[in-house]
Amino acid sequence: MGQQIASALHQSMDRVLVMLVRFLPGLLAFFLALLILWFIGWAISALARRILTSARFDERVAAREGTGSAASLADWSPANSPTLLVSRAIQWICILAGLALGISAFNASYSSTPEISLFLLPYLTHLTGAILLLVIGVLLARFLSRSVLIGSVNAQLQYARFLSLGVKWLVLVLTAAMALDHLRIAGGIVDLAFGILFGGIVLTLSLAIGLGSRDLVSRSIEKTIDKPLPSRPVEFSRETDVAEPPRPKLRHF
Amino acid sequence: MSSLPMTEVSDHSSSKTLVNDNVSAHATVLVCLPSMSAEGVHALAGDLKATSPHINFLLASCNTPSDSIDGSGRVRMIEYPDQPAHSGWILTASDYLNAANLALEYRASATMLLGTEAATLPHEALQTLYTAALEGGGDLILPRYPAGPHEGLVSAALLHPLSRALYGIDARMPLPLDVAFSPRMASRFQTAAKRAVSSVGGEALLWPATEAAVASFLTHEVAVGRRVLPQPAVDDLNSLLAHIAGSLFADIETKAAFWQRVRSVIPAQKTNATAKQTAGDDDLAEVRPMIADFRNAYTNLQEIWSLVLPPQSLLALKKLSLAEPEAFTMPANLWARTVYDFVLAFRLRTINRGHLLGALTPLYLAWVASHLRIADDDQTRAEQHIEETSAAFIAEKPYIVSRWRWPDRFNP
Repeated sequence: MGQQIASALHQSMDRVLVMLVRFLPGLLAFFLALLILWFIGWAISALARRILTSARFDERVAAREGTGSAASLADWSPANSPTLLVSRAIQWICILAGLALGISAFNASYSSTPEISLFLLPYLTHLTGAILLLVIGVLLARFLSRSVLIGSVNAQLQYARFLSLGVKWLVLVLTAAMALDHLRIAGGIVDLAFGILFGGIVLTLSLAIGLGSRDLVSRSIEKTIDKPLPSRPVEFSRETDVAEPPRPKLRHF
Repeated sequence: MSSLPMTEVSDHSSSKTLVNDNVSAHATVLVCLPSMSAEGVHALAGDLKATSPHINFLLASCNTPSDSIDGSGRVRMIEYPDQPAHSGWILTASDYLNAANLALEYRASATMLLGTEAATLPHEALQTLYTAALEGGGDLILPRYPAGPHEGLVSAALLHPLSRALYGIDARMPLPLDVAFSPRMASRFQTAAKRAVSSVGGEALLWPATEAAVASFLTHEVAVGRRVLPQPAVDDLNSLLAHIAGSLFADIETKAAFWQRVRSVIPAQKTNATAKQTAGDDDLAEVRPMIADFRNAYTNLQEIWSLVLPPQSLLALKKLSLAEPEAFTMPANLWARTVYDFVLAFRLRTINRGHLLGALTPLYLAWVASHLRIADDDQTRAEQHIEETSAAFIAEKPYIVSRWRWPDRFNP
């Protein structure tokens, strides 16, 4: 009995050790590939930064984009420097390449037990995609909410902040749902929850705008109805005749 | 720092502008008319011929047959390029480029570029413009039209004070509707306009007065009669203000090395433009909606303004938002600092430039409300307030120079 237990323990230890022996080189290869590609990326990005700085890339981009462009490359760049954007993009491309290479090496060393790599490889890819989606979503939400806020304020809407918040949360909810869907986490629940939440926000906004602008709509309809009516000559009262002259029109230009 | 006299303002009456025969005999004046009708061009040709017996005129228009010469042989029609099309209400960089190309091609002694509704200009005004270019020694001649308290508000609030404080150019319309210039100015315009058109496109604006200032050319402003001021086809203040202010801010960014060295020669004047204290409801009816819009903007745009403006300015804006319409006055130094902070944020790209210029509109409307309340339909009071605004921009120039050089320094 004791021998059997000892044998079972030995066998399981052997299996674990064999698995570790198989696993460790793959892990080492993964980190090595990542480190080498990170170093290569750092070297290339430093070189690119030096070349672009000496070529006055930032100034050239600014001159080319000129005066009228509302959104420009520098707006999307870290520290407003397109040179930095290019160099960081190069570095991150190399790091991602190292990540892919490492996962591939990991996968190769684990060919005998494909279930782990089959689970890990696509999941890491999906994780990267989800993070990218989140970053883009947050940036887009901020941009759109500010656009809506400024546009609404300049259009003299009283509920500008409410509209802006609505747009921001619409985009954020949409992004979160897309990211979760991309990660394949509780797909059905996310779809359902997203549908309810998104629909709820849209309904709330519609009701708010509808109720808020009820007077505006009714005035607009009254104006439309009243338009064809005044065909008979209008009789002016004495008060109208002596009304003061209209004020001069405001000319901004 | 250098002290450069950039601008001279003169009031050329018709008696003063009779052309000196010795100076301008056989001179050729090119008149570019990108938007004038054929009838207008023919009428203008007759007027020009009658007023100046010793000058040859080249009239460039896209609406008249080219290379036709009138009976006297002194007025010749030439072709004006119809591409890109004239924008309609303002002179763009492509208009300057076309005029400069023609001026250099035909070796014109002086060039006049006349904008939309130029047919309504008094005849003496045309003579005043080209005479100042031929005889006055000026490289750039800008007209000054009489404007009421309700007219040219963007110029009064932004363009004039900024040009005067930063470049030392005391021109009421730095973005002119009509302009006259010398051959060397034409050469400068050709280079600058080519750059602007190639980088931005046909709708790019050119700031003639700042180009003249940077080249150390002399700018004259001449008082001319009233003309119809063309208005933009699109009545969207936000986009128009963003277009004009964005172009000016970008020009300021490009010429930073120049204006930081210029010490304006114009003394900062302290005027006492105060509003009438007993303003009635009728007087405030015009400004009440603007003040309401400003209050609405203050409630909603604080998050964006706080990225651009220092706490001191935000506090002053808060006080302004609480002021009653009867006492609504935006202090001139607050407006000057606000504009300078926006110029700096434009340069640093603190936020998206479209958002930044959109956030400036309510502040501009607050200045307009303040201006209209102070002016109270009185031209003299309006001029005093514009002068006070301009003086505040000059007084606050060290602020923008300092923040431009050290933007990260603590700014309470």
